[in-house]
Amino acid sequence: MKMKARILETVIELVKNLFSKPMTVRFPHESIPIAEGYRGEHEYDIEKCRSCGLCANICPNKAIMMVKAPKEYRKKYPKLYPQIDLGKCCFCGLCQDRCPTGAIKLTKNIFLSTFDSKEVIKNPVPTK
Amino acid sequence: MISNNDTSGHELEYEIPFGPAHPGPGNFSIKLRLDGERIISAKSDPGYLHRGFEKLMEYRMPMQNAVLSDRLCVLEPLSWNLVHAEAVDELMGINVPERARYIRVTMAELSRIQSHIIWYGVMSKAIGFETGFMLAFGYRDYILDLFEQITGGRVYPTGYICPGGVRRDLTQGIATKIRTTLRKMNKMLSTFEKFDNISISARTKGIGVLPLKEAIRLGATGPVLRASGLKTDVRKDDPYEAYPEFDFDIPVRKEGDSCARLSILKEEIEESMKIIKQALDNMPEGNFRVPSPNPKIRVTLPKGEVYVRNECARGEGSMYMVSVGGEKPYRCKIRGPSFLHMIPVLEYLLKDSQIADIPAIYWSLNVCPADLDR
Repeated sequence: MKMKARILETVIELVKNLFSKPMTVRFPHESIPIAEGYRGEHEYDIEKCRSCGLCANICPNKAIMMVKAPKEYRKKYPKLYPQIDLGKCCFCGLCQDRCPTGAIKLTKNIFLSTFDSKEVIKNPVPTK
Repeated sequence: MISNNDTSGHELEYEIPFGPAHPGPGNFSIKLRLDGERIISAKSDPGYLHRGFEKLMEYRMPMQNAVLSDRLCVLEPLSWNLVHAEAVDELMGINVPERARYIRVTMAELSRIQSHIIWYGVMSKAIGFETGFMLAFGYRDYILDLFEQITGGRVYPTGYICPGGVRRDLTQGIATKIRTTLRKMNKMLSTFEKFDNISISARTKGIGVLPLKEAIRLGATGPVLRASGLKTDVRKDDPYEAYPEFDFDIPVRKEGDSCARLSILKEEIEESMKIIKQALDNMPEGNFRVPSPNPKIRVTLPKGEVYVRNECARGEGSMYMVSVGGEKPYRCKIRGPSFLHMIPVLEYLLKDSQIADIPAIYWSLNVCPADLDR
């Protein structure tokens, strides 16, 4: 009797699962929304930057390096600016927390894989 | 990988390694001496995941160490965040705001639930019960969704529980979402109960029995010790954060076998849910972090030493921190609960057991090679 009840239970579960939707989504066609405040790729605004270097100081992985702007921009931007190496970054967001002017912000962009290793370095002044 | 041992004079005695293959024991290996199917002796072989956190922490500031403390245990980063944050708070004499203490408890308990779900999942997989594994990992994702909204990352909160409070306040409407998730966890537990008689008990009852006397002698803590019959929990014995304000029980079993450890797991999830509900109901208003000092002022750790211990999901996790008055700690000693579970306890349990029972014993201890090697 117990065995019969168990088999019936299994069949009910089977039928239920036949018509229910799967837990996952088919990724490239649809994707689950990313939550607000997700720690993804950085967004850097050079106009707001004070060149204080606090972001480079707090970065636990030393992914941020203060560099000079390229020659053609050096008149406009004479100080040192943060260059972010996304390959070293652990996306902790301490730079965003510490930035006094809000020049560095983490965005929701998580699609960062690339075939070119040079693309992972984000220059403060976009070259080209 | 089988090597015949000719020197001992016993024909059937041979040695095989168990691991280190990641989806199996996970960056950890056990050298087994066998006589046919019976294990004569087992020798743990750790060190595949050593990253040197104790030394790394001497070169980083407390806030950077908070980010680093995530990686101490991959499966429960928030619990280790809490251990580190408490050590720094006590050393610096920071009075953490009431709201932050409640958020910390909520997050630590959510972390415990998701860690216990992984425990159930890998245990099911180890004994060849794939359905349990799939279900457990599916339900774990609901909690990861909460972590994504609160901390900004699914698995690694990157120092969400930081010295002085928490890094972000709870977002609007998150309390309702946590309650909805807890209802789903209830549903999950009732599904797990259905599996108990059929699939789990047959493989785990009477396997890997750890008597209470041996458990204490070998230094077991947390759920492993409770499954052997000792009513102990750091949350009650040496209360920290807001735990004294909550009403919860400590589940205890007397059998000490794999099955007892698995049932402790489910009861602990229920207790954790109780704590979270109470924390959400009584969540006070106010600051979620002590007002941070001007970033230009250097934060120095005062001279002294401190030892804190917490109840992590796997057992007692603690940290000993020494400062000589600099920006960075002078020494950090971390006590991972898995260290004693994976070396003396595991070696004791595997002796004289059958080779087919290794996964059922190994995973029932709720171990994590990451926090063993550190």
